[in-house]
Amino acid sequence: MLPPRRGSGAQLVAERLTRSFGDRIAVDDVSLSVGAGEIVALLGPNGAGKTTTMRMLAGLILPGGGRIAINGVEVTRATAGQARHAIGLLTEAPGLWERLPVRLNLLTYAKLQGVRGPAARVETLLRRLHLADRADDTAGTLSKGLKQRVAIARALLHEPQVVLLDEPTSGLDPASARQMRDLIAELRSEGRAILVSTHNLGEAEELSDRIAILKTRLLACDSAAALRNAAGVSRVIVEVQGSREPLDIPIKDLSEVPAIVARLVAEGRGIIRVTPDQRSLEQVYLDLVGAEP
Amino acid sequence: MTWYRIAALARKDAAELLRNPGAILPAILMVFASLFPAFLVIVVTPRLIGERLEESEFSEQAANAAASLPELAGLAGDGLVQAYMFHQFSVLLLLVPIVGAMALATHAVIGEKQAKALEPILATPITTIELLVAKTLAPFLFALALSWTAVLLYLLGAWLFGEPGVWQAVAGGRLVVMFVVVGPLVELAALLLSVIVSSRASDPRSAQQISALLILPVTAVFIAQLMGALILSVAMLLAAALGALLINLGLLAVGVQVFHRETILTRWT
Repeated sequence: MLPPRRGSGAQLVAERLTRSFGDRIAVDDVSLSVGAGEIVALLGPNGAGKTTTMRMLAGLILPGGGRIAINGVEVTRATAGQARHAIGLLTEAPGLWERLPVRLNLLTYAKLQGVRGPAARVETLLRRLHLADRADDTAGTLSKGLKQRVAIARALLHEPQVVLLDEPTSGLDPASARQMRDLIAELRSEGRAILVSTHNLGEAEELSDRIAILKTRLLACDSAAALRNAAGVSRVIVEVQGSREPLDIPIKDLSEVPAIVARLVAEGRGIIRVTPDQRSLEQVYLDLVGAEP
Repeated sequence: MTWYRIAALARKDAAELLRNPGAILPAILMVFASLFPAFLVIVVTPRLIGERLEESEFSEQAANAAASLPELAGLAGDGLVQAYMFHQFSVLLLLVPIVGAMALATHAVIGEKQAKALEPILATPITTIELLVAKTLAPFLFALALSWTAVLLYLLGAWLFGEPGVWQAVAGGRLVVMFVVVGPLVELAALLLSVIVSSRASDPRSAQQISALLILPVTAVFIAQLMGALILSVAMLLAAALGALLINLGLLAVGVQVFHRETILTRWT
């Protein structure tokens, strides 16, 4: 299992998770950990098992095999309720009660989570997430971005140390998505362990400390830079004298570069600059996901 | 089972129902719909056609029933027939808790499905049995309040429009057994059936259509009474209550199966 990079130790540990629905294997042998103050992005195509993994980690469904520990406590049928209290889950759809005011939405969840002083806690979160002026509005009148903020507030009501976010910026406009990413970064700075499921590679790269690529099995889990490095370079860009367009030469390995330069020099070309170009995260992702059946 | 979680969710459901006219209007209209036939036949029609009830075909039925219904003793003429008729029509009021429970419960469950709110609820420490109880509690209390309101309006009408002594004859042990024992049990059966059907249905109306099967037995009893073929005694009502209790136990067993966390997450949403 890959160790967490930040913080004082893993808050969330999953080892060899497996889950089937009938004959279909949704998640197979997935090991993952998230440390305090760390963000791990979970990437994968539709149907890759991201939501099933999230649901197992959130204590919503039990794994068919493997184990999960949250804050050192193993999740079992008996401790699943405790696990759900230790985790804040942002579901893919906000799932608010649209006929009810924002405040009542949050107050009900605060009581379901057994929060002490639920009304005061709700007010604190309303202020923190800049929702105080919309607290008495019915949830159905809010924009998608505001609904997502209410859903985040709901996930944080019981002050969980582990936060699972299922596609937090899906469908948001750029400004709302930026606010959401800033909020997630803020949660990391508070020392929370955060797992974010996303389809947005740029967001994953910008936001996370590590990226886990899932397609039923865990294909890779490392920092974006390490993933790109491991994938190697795919081409070299050579700027030569007398040519306005640089040469774009595909390569398989950096060791090919001296031979390429030597050949160009032998051809009498004046070389200005040679730049090995790393594979983009998108290429790395597509190579990994595409290579798997 | 933790009652504060159940209470929190039930209070939320009540608040939602009060803001949802589509859910509560059918239940409220049922109160008036169940009262209307009795007053039409017992009060309005005789006045319109100028015929006293004691001169109608129901007079003989009432005289026969007086032997098996002790609360009719002491009444005669129009008063006897009115009291008998109010007795016979009172079974229609059982439709209020049934229709009310169905209308409210289907919205309480399908509303959560449509709002995609079940997953966030299940992500809290609430247990599935707590969720089942919470989802039935608000509709149960609401429909029960409506059915008792209907009974009070019924008695008020019997007092206002009936002959002296009629409303006291109607407000006897039989009515108490019907609406304190049988009514809540039948209502609970309607609730559980609605919740079970709602788990498979995607809109409240289709769920209500299947749950409406419960209306049939009540309607059959009413028609049998109207034809003079049946007079519901307290013993019959207690037997019906026992039957409803057994049906409830069966439905509860199915309901608990349907309310498995994983079933809700993987099949309901």
